[in-house]
Order: sequence, then C-alpha cells, then structure tokens
Amino acid sequence: MSAPVLTEPAPPSAPSASKRSSWYGYLRQPTVALSVLVLLVMVLMAVFAPLIADEPSGAGPDVLQSPSGAHWFGTDDLGQDVFAQVVWGTRTSLVIGLAASLIALALGTTIGLAAAYFRPIDAVATVITDVMLALPTLPLMIMLAAVVSPSVVTLTLIIGFFAWPEVARLIRSQGLVISAMPYIDGARVLGATGWRIVTREILPAVVSLMIVSVLLTASRAVISEAGLSFLGLGDPDAWSWGRILLNAQRSGTIAIAWWQTLFPSLAILLLVLAATLAGMRFNDSRDPRRNGG
Amino acid sequence: MAVKGRWRLAVALGVVATLGVSGCGLNEDNNSSSGNSSSETVLRIGTTTDVSNFNPLQSLSKTDSWILNAMYPHLLRIDENAQKAPELAKEYRYEDDGKTAVFVLRDDFKWSDGKPVVADDVKFSAEKIMEYKLGNVAAKLTWVESVEAPDATTVKFKLSQPYAPFAEGVGFWMAVVPKHIFEPAGDLSKFANDSNWVGAGPFVLDSVTKGQRYVMKRNEHYPLAPGGKAAVSQVEYRVYPDVNTMMLALRNGDIDLMGTPVPISAAKTFEGDDKIKLEKVGALGFAHLTYNMKNKYLADQQVRQALSMAVDTKAIISAVLQGDGQQMAGPISPIFSEYDNTELQPYPFDPEGAKAKLSAAGYKDGNNDGFFDELSFGVACDQSNANITRVVQLFRESAAKAGIKLENECVERNTFLTRTKNGEYDIDASQWGVFDNPMDQLRSTYLSSNPGGINYNLLESAEMDALINDAAGTTDPEEFKTKIKNIDKVVHEQAYLTPLYVENFQFAYNASKFTGFVASPSDLLGMVTAYSLAQVTPVK
Repeated sequence: MSAPVLTEPAPPSAPSASKRSSWYGYLRQPTVALSVLVLLVMVLMAVFAPLIADEPSGAGPDVLQSPSGAHWFGTDDLGQDVFAQVVWGTRTSLVIGLAASLIALALGTTIGLAAAYFRPIDAVATVITDVMLALPTLPLMIMLAAVVSPSVVTLTLIIGFFAWPEVARLIRSQGLVISAMPYIDGARVLGATGWRIVTREILPAVVSLMIVSVLLTASRAVISEAGLSFLGLGDPDAWSWGRILLNAQRSGTIAIAWWQTLFPSLAILLLVLAATLAGMRFNDSRDPRRNGG
Repeated sequence: MAVKGRWRLAVALGVVATLGVSGCGLNEDNNSSSGNSSSETVLRIGTTTDVSNFNPLQSLSKTDSWILNAMYPHLLRIDENAQKAPELAKEYRYEDDGKTAVFVLRDDFKWSDGKPVVADDVKFSAEKIMEYKLGNVAAKLTWVESVEAPDATTVKFKLSQPYAPFAEGVGFWMAVVPKHIFEPAGDLSKFANDSNWVGAGPFVLDSVTKGQRYVMKRNEHYPLAPGGKAAVSQVEYRVYPDVNTMMLALRNGDIDLMGTPVPISAAKTFEGDDKIKLEKVGALGFAHLTYNMKNKYLADQQVRQALSMAVDTKAIISAVLQGDGQQMAGPISPIFSEYDNTELQPYPFDPEGAKAKLSAAGYKDGNNDGFFDELSFGVACDQSNANITRVVQLFRESAAKAGIKLENECVERNTFLTRTKNGEYDIDASQWGVFDNPMDQLRSTYLSSNPGGINYNLLESAEMDALINDAAGTTDPEEFKTKIKNIDKVVHEQAYLTPLYVENFQFAYNASKFTGFVASPSDLLGMVTAYSLAQVTPVK
C-alpha cells in the first residue's frame, strides 16, 4: 500500500523537508508525545511479553492478593498474577486491534475509492455502507461469535468486517473532493486508466486519512474485542483484557478484588485514549485550514 | 452559682425532654414496624434469570424449579442428609414382588383455591407426563403400565417389571398439579400456566414482573409448616443476572437470601459482616470429564486412561475449590456411600506415566512438537460456569505435559447446550446437577437407548446395557448393591469419564432478619425448597 506513495513522482526536496518539520511539529505537541509514548510502550509490552512476565498458567497459593511488590497488580482467584495477565493481554488486544483495523482499512479504502471514482459503483456502495452502518453491530457480532468457534482469528475477522463502513465513508468523501480536482482531469486527458488514476493519483492523497482511520478503527476494535471477550465470546486460550474482566465477573470477585478489574480497564482506557488522541492530532496536523497551507 | 445551677437544670430538663420525646417516637416506630412484620413479612430471594416455563410438568430449568417447587408439592423430598423424606406422601411401599408401588398420601394438603389434594391429582399428573412425554420424569415412568387411585389418599403404580428405585425417583422428581385446573387446559405439552396460579405448596405465585420480580403469596393451608401455614407471608424472587450484583444486594439489604450459591472465590465478600451467614451444603451431583466414544481415538481405552492420568484433580480441588471439595474414584458420588465402590482408587496424576502408556499403545510424536500426532481434542464447557472453566484451563496445561493437545472450547451457555445435545464435542467438561439415586444415574448416563438424554459418552455397549438392565431388575438390596459396585468398577476401568470432584455449596442469607432455613444438598434444592421456605421465621 505504501508503494504508490514512494513511486509518486513528486517534487522531492521541499516537501520532504516540510514533511519532516510537520512530523516534528506533530510530535512536539505534549498530548501527541504522550500518546505516542503510551502506544510505543504497549507495543513493546506486546512484543516482549515473554521477557516481562511468564505466561499466566497453573494455580498458585496466593489467592486474591492485593497489589504488592511481588504482585504489582495483585492476583486473581486462582493465584495467577494479574500483571502478567495484563501484559499478555496486551498481545491479543493489540494483534486483534491492528489486524482488524487493517482488514477494515483494506475493505473500506477499496470500497470508498471505488465509490468515489466510479459513479455506477457509488450508488450501490453507498447503499451497502449505509445499511452496514445502520445494522446493530454489537448484537450481530455476538451472534456471529457465538455461532463460529471463538478464536483470535475469527474474532479479528468479525470485528474487521463490521468496522469497514466508517472507513469507506470517510475515504469516499475525501476521494470525491480529490477526484473533482483539475489534476485528475489532467491525468484523464493524458490517457491514464481508471485503475491508474485511483491507485496513483487519488490513493496517495488519502493516505493521511488512512493513517488516522487505522488508529481510530484500531481503538474501536480493541474495545469490541474486550467487549466480546467479557461476554465470553473471546478466545478462551488467549489472554486478553476482556477475559481478565470476565474472570473477575464470573468468579464474583468484583466487589472484593478491585485490582482484578481496575488494571485491565486502565489498560483499555490508556490504549484507546492514546490511539484516539494520536489519530485526531495527526488529522489536525494534516489539515491545511489549520496549518495555513 | 445559683444562675449556673439553674442553667444546668434547664439543660438537663431539656435533654431529658428531648430524649423522652424521641424515645417515644422510636418506640412508636418500633411498635408499628414490628406490628407490620408479624402480619406482613416479605422474604426476598435473589434468582439469576426469569422463569422460562411455568408448567411444572415440563420445565427442566433450575431457576424455574425454585419457584415452581414452592407451588406444586412432590410426593417425597430430599432432606438435609440427602435422604428421601415424606412430603405429600406419608409413606410408600412395594407390593406384588416389587411390581406395584403404593404411595399413601397425607389428607391435609390443600390447593390454594380450597380444594383438597387427592390421589386423583397424582394419577392425573403421572398419566399426563406419560401421555405427552413431559420433562425428565417421563423416563422415570417407563415401566408404568397403569396408575390407580382406589381412594383419596392411595396411589398405585403398576409396573411391567420391578425397578428398585422407582418410588424414590418418581416421588422426588414428579410435581403434582391440580387436576381441576390442568385438565381443562387440554394438551399439557402446550399449556403455559402463566397466570391465575393454583398451588398446594407453602407459596403460590401472585404476580410477575418480567426481568424484575416474582411475587408469591402464602398458601393459608400448608401442613408441613409449623403453624399450619408459613410464618413468612410473602416470598419475592428478584432477578439479578450477575452474581456480583446479587451479593451487593444482599449486603445492602435489598434481598434476604441468595438462591444461587456464593462462588468460593467470593466468600470473602461477607467476611466481617455480622448480619450475613453462610450455610454450607453438599452436592448431589459432581463435576466430570466425559469422553465422546464416537471419536476414533477417545474410543481407545488407553487414551481415556491416559487422559484420566493427566488431570490433577487434587490440585484442581485445592485451587479451584479452595480445598472445599471431595475427590472421587468411580462414577458414584460418595454421598451414596452404600453404592460407592471404595476399593477403586482414582487414577494417579502422572503425565509421564500417561505419556509412556500412550507410547506403549503405539501413538507417536512424528513431528517432534511434544504432542502425539493424532491426539488433539477439544474440551467443551459452559463459559458461565466459573469452576469448570478454570478446570478446563488447568486440564489443558496438565494434558500438554502428557503430550495430549487440548483445545479450550468453553463457549456461551446456549451454544454449549446445543453442542452437547448434538454430540458435537470430543471431551465434555460439565457438572451433573442432581442424581437422586445411583441406578437412575447409571441408566441415564450409560444405556445405549439414552433414556435420560445425558449419555454424554454416546456409549453403545451391549456389555454395559446388560449389566445395567440386570441390576435394575434386582430386588434383593444386597445383591443390588454388589451389582452397582461392579458397574462402578467397569466404568472406572474403562475410564468412560474422569470424575473431578464433589463440591460444597455455600448459601448466604441475612441472619439478622430470617432464621430457620432447612438446607438440602445441591444448588437445585439448597435453601429454597418448599419445606425450607415453610420453616423460615422472621427474627424478632
């Protein structure tokens, strides 16, 4: 997907300098710096989970201990370390969040761009997008997840499949603006095919929007995953934040073991907040009206 | 001094006056409230879900039965020692070499519309169950050729062959419904019975607000209550789908008793709360892993034995149940001590031994991933059962040590039930609710004809059928016990199932408001049997 951007015959020097400065300006905002830091830490936690904590397994004698030096986030009713569960949960949550949002992005961008450029497709695609947006997503996801056997893959597919309409709509509206621009007409006059115009001319113009959508969709996907896992529709063999919450709820320890619900909830909150903030600010920083350019 | 003294007097008088007035106020309040409570006491019980079927002949749900059993009497009940005790029936006996079971009824039970409960009601209930194959009782009436009610207090069941636990099974499970209300309804398999209830238990449903409350009014004639009627005037079931919320409601005084047991992990919730008392009862069922014999590899006795050796039941009991459970060896719960074959030893937890056994049986790890190539099974369980979910988690880890790859297939409850019904599982991890006698248990779990619908092994073994049918027709008690113990041994050697534990249940209630509960074993009965609710008295 990045190939077209690289091969774009854009004037090289000036934009790249301005690009670097805009990245710098973007990252210099304290909220952005913090958000990106949080996201980085989460990614590192997910990647290096085995180095940080052993995979939670078995049962231990320290049941329902409150947070302490030995167990930073306390222990659950089997004596497993909640910190380890949260760290390992980061993996599932991030993997599902990212993969689902990539699916949503691929579907959404394709449909959005096609709708924006090819008029006959637009009518159909818009109706489908509207129908998808009108569907009660959560009950549908619950039904689907209950029918297929729950695993990380099926969960990713389900969440990704239900998240594309927002992306499609966003990309389409931007694509409509772009495809009406004179340089697109120019390309057409030069004899470029529709495929070439969409992939080489319009797509690069919506890339920044796609980055924003990845972040926003991923954060929504994380919430969906946690929600489905909490409802018992997650992968029972993979640790996830929703599953930690489900364990606490099912064993009736919510009232006495606050640490079992607080920390995974905080993790969800942090991730979603960081991703949303980073996405919004990125969008702002790319907005010509704000940057005067 | 004098001024000061006068001031003091004034203050003192003022204080006395205030105290006096407020004292009177308090007394008055006390009087009025205690006056209310003697005539109008409401016992509020937490339940987890709505009643799905108000027809007591048909409903199979645990939470339904809490409410329905308080309305419709049974011939026998199970008392606090897991023994059958008289309820509507005063006594029962066999005649005609065990081919006729005779129940003698009490003559003082009355339906809430004033009509007496008579033998015709019992005959009607049994006949309708047979006619429409209703509920789980239909299978227990298999041998009945005819039911007779020669007088108002005698019911005779004529059997095609002697069946030792017939009277106990039918007596305990069969609800007795009012003939004069149910007969006009016609087809009882379609009768909803969802309004204008008439019952003969201590309480009868009066109004229902779906998703919220089930209000039951006292039946003014209930002979098993100490004063001829229950001391509590009203029982109200309130719906709390989440156990955490229910526990908080009990602590806050919104309910007085939790119908569901308190999860062991959550018992600490009530520590240091003087008002809340926990009552512990045993179980009438047990948790188990059952192997689907239709699976090519699970049909191999060596594999089932190896799996049994790969479950650390002791660790499960100490971790999941916090030590509050009993280990089992054979398929008969130790609560039926006369039938439990104590010579059997549980399979030892020995993953290495299990591995060696499988290697000896010819299973190989060709790709060297630490797992035997063919041995990969899914373990199905009900996601909402906290203990079993934990068990599956631990079982998966310990079986991996024995080279057996397990996949956790704990799913949402309805999906699980559908899969169980259709036999779509390799290993079934679940909990038998209530077995009231070993013979019925063996029949419903191992007969090829699957009369109880819970032959989760999907076992079709001519040998087991013969053993079970032979035992079922045995009338001599000693011979009967020997035969049961023999079946016990066969099941254990074949490792058709791996019994996990018999757990204890803890029920929490507000002891500062109510007392006198008579708890029976199991979470089906617990504190909310008709008999128990009839004995409850408000604390003065």
